[in-house]
Amino acid sequence: MLSSQVELGISIYKPGGILMRQYIIRRLLQMIPTLIGISIIVFAISAMVPGDFITAKNNPNMTAEKAEQLRHIYGLDKPEYERYFIWAGNMLKGNMGDSLQHKQPVTEVINTYVWNSFIIALATLILSWVIAVFTGVFSAKFQYSFFDRIVTLTVFLCMSLPSFFIGLLLIKLFALDWKLFPVSGMTTAGHNDAGWAYIKDVVKHMFLPTLVLTMLSTGSLTRYFRAGMLEVIRQDYIRTARAKGLKEVTVIFKHALRNALLPAITLLGFELPALFGGAMILEKVFVWPGIGQVYLESINMRDYPFMLGFTIFLSILTLLGNLLADVLYGIADPRIRLK
Amino acid sequence: MTKKWSVLVGLVLATSMVLSACGGGNNNAASSNAPASANASNAGESASTEASASTDANDPAGNANGVIKASDMSLLPASAAARKDTLIVGMTAPQGIFNPLFSSTVYDNYVNDVIFDYFITVKADGTYENSLADSVEITNDNKTYTYHLKQGVKYTDGTPVTVKDYYFALKVYLDPKYDGESDLTLAKIVGSDEYKNGSATEISGVKIIDDNTIQIDVSDYDAMTQVYLGTIPFISEAYYGKGFKKGSLDSIKALNTKPLGSGPYVLSSYKAGQEVDFTANDSYFKGAPKVKNMIYRTTTDGTNLSLIQSGETDMDNITVTEDNVEELKAMGFVDVNILPNNGYGYIGMNLKEKKFADQKVRQALTYGLNRKDIVEGVYGSYANVIDIPESKVSWAYTDEGINHYDFDTEKAKQLLDEAGWKVGSDGIREKDGEKFVINFSATADNPVVDALLPIMTQNYKDLGIDLKAETLDFNAIMEKADKGDYDMYFAAWGLTPDPDNTVYITNGAQNRFGYSNATVDKLMAEGRKELDTEKRKEIYKQMYQELNKDVPAIFMYQRTNMYGISGRVTGFDLSPYKDFDLSLYQVQLQQ
Repeated sequence: MLSSQVELGISIYKPGGILMRQYIIRRLLQMIPTLIGISIIVFAISAMVPGDFITAKNNPNMTAEKAEQLRHIYGLDKPEYERYFIWAGNMLKGNMGDSLQHKQPVTEVINTYVWNSFIIALATLILSWVIAVFTGVFSAKFQYSFFDRIVTLTVFLCMSLPSFFIGLLLIKLFALDWKLFPVSGMTTAGHNDAGWAYIKDVVKHMFLPTLVLTMLSTGSLTRYFRAGMLEVIRQDYIRTARAKGLKEVTVIFKHALRNALLPAITLLGFELPALFGGAMILEKVFVWPGIGQVYLESINMRDYPFMLGFTIFLSILTLLGNLLADVLYGIADPRIRLK
Repeated sequence: MTKKWSVLVGLVLATSMVLSACGGGNNNAASSNAPASANASNAGESASTEASASTDANDPAGNANGVIKASDMSLLPASAAARKDTLIVGMTAPQGIFNPLFSSTVYDNYVNDVIFDYFITVKADGTYENSLADSVEITNDNKTYTYHLKQGVKYTDGTPVTVKDYYFALKVYLDPKYDGESDLTLAKIVGSDEYKNGSATEISGVKIIDDNTIQIDVSDYDAMTQVYLGTIPFISEAYYGKGFKKGSLDSIKALNTKPLGSGPYVLSSYKAGQEVDFTANDSYFKGAPKVKNMIYRTTTDGTNLSLIQSGETDMDNITVTEDNVEELKAMGFVDVNILPNNGYGYIGMNLKEKKFADQKVRQALTYGLNRKDIVEGVYGSYANVIDIPESKVSWAYTDEGINHYDFDTEKAKQLLDEAGWKVGSDGIREKDGEKFVINFSATADNPVVDALLPIMTQNYKDLGIDLKAETLDFNAIMEKADKGDYDMYFAAWGLTPDPDNTVYITNGAQNRFGYSNATVDKLMAEGRKELDTEKRKEIYKQMYQELNKDVPAIFMYQRTNMYGISGRVTGFDLSPYKDFDLSLYQVQLQQ
């Protein structure tokens, strides 16, 4: 991925001013060649992968003529460079084409599944950041204490367990043994709830997958915040703040934390594509109707329009996430603005 | 290990299979061809459906095909018992193509089969009976087919079903822009080429006599013609035909998630990736379904057992392993239905290579491979070693004059000697200066391949053959196979109810081996042309005997499928050819 750190060195703008608008426009323009590059690479990789939608189908009754006809209708019989230009041209017009598997426009397929992934990802994002900030701060504050050691052990444990294993373990405990949460799915089959009842049903179903995802992602964040915090609380201004008699809470949460959070803005930028990317493995374990498993299936089935369309969609989000991180960084940290 | 933990371990194993299947992919790549078949092609029979079974030497069951009845209905979960008028079927998520003209996975077909009707429908034994058709007349030396539609059948919106809708479906199938997988050109209807590739706006070989009678002329017939013509779905022209003109099918595809048919159920809601809900069509022409509401709920291999256990689903297709069978039996309230799978696993050889072109060598490779051990290693007692490429339950199956190629290293060595492959100084056989080395293209994460390779390597080493394996993605192997750039690979074929296929005929579309045998070609052509089943049996018997002798591929096994069905559900008519969805309208819930 593109490193936003590198970009930061040349960030020259003032929030809200003309310079900032220019900066954003320039960055957006810079995204164009990047995207073209990405599209070529992504397309080339997909074209080089053996097999296509027809071979992946492996239909035992399909005649060679029929396969040829289908390849013609799907445009798979044209040379690769031609296919690239047709595809790229359609993308420019906002037309991602029809998914071969779903026989509907790619945008519609994305729209059907992506929001299911989004709500889990968003819940996970909020939970893991809140937990990570607090545990990170306390671990740093009480470095090498018993609390710090326990937290370190726990987060490493959570990080290193394979997600499908925790997922199944939780299903066994919470769903089968204690019957607290449903085994899988997003809603109770056959219920056509609306309003609150629906939301309650979904929350109940998303508890377990969100728990697993949070367990997985909190670990690294905690370490990140702990490291950031450790660095900051050794700074002179923190000593100054203490010396002038501020309460410890104010020192930690107002003066130290805000500075320790700065590098996290970069991380937040990377979270943008993750919000929409789906979680392939967990969606499978919990039968969550998210985009991740649809994406995976499209790769296995060589459903080029969807596979390429969604990859480009994620690339755009990644680039925007980078831009967002840089802009936010500038707003939050006056030191890197050009005077 | 306590019971509960063994459930967990089972879950973990099952999921790791699911996950590993991602590499091999295609677990949903089941397909149906020309309206004809409800077959599943099972590309590569990848791991999720082919999860391995532990070999339990103590299992006395032998090859346990059939039904194991529920032992204790008092164990039925309260949640399931409370669901008095709703049946929940667990299955893999459909793609959302609820139009039989365009659907391509079995799961979409499960949905379509309860919504749409056809002139004929498959029976449990793989032959067909009339459904919407009142009668069919075949005249003009088998080249004219006159269908009489039952009187008074209505779509679920109240409009009458007429043969014009049938004709409309024909036009869509033959549209130049039609991109579904069915291939109606195989039915050879007069005028279909002019319609598909020319400027004709009607299909000249179709004559609508009245609303309930249609006459179709074909330029040539074979045993499949009736199946092709009889399994065209009735789709309401009034509903689907709005905005349709030749060369533009988008308006039809736009209705994919809002199907309208005349079948036993009406789709009431669809949540992509989650569930498909149905309500009964009380005016169904075969009688109102006895279960008011039906739900297809999305499940996966990792959770389908748990869902049955917790009562959240009433039935599901569970991978057949000894553990899963035990698990279902232990639940007590579940009827376990084990049925032979319509398909078989095989090892393909590149017959264009000199070493494999020799029949004796192919026979030797079959004799010299301990197939029984391999198959048992993967499926326990729930699969059979096969010697002809046909399902044991097919009418075309024969065991007469079939050599079983029981594992016999000595015999294999002798055959190799006869073929001129002599053991060289390094223990490897050679002929004309060429060493006998086989490069095996192995599918990644396929349990069959994992079990096969070690045994095969050892078996063939004993014969003086050096087996080298390279692991590849399933699609990569298929591409190599299609190009003829391979020595050997393992894969599986799906089987249709009819024995006709193109896998073993010279230059056949699916003939990846480069196999060519004049006798087989002749018999296949004869069998295709013959309409009398008894006569066809004789023809296919000879054909299978020839294939058995000639060994175009090393045939491995026919495995089984399993449905776990809650004991509260009765009335299914299941067979390998007749899937559960076709008898859903007869099913009852015990109160």
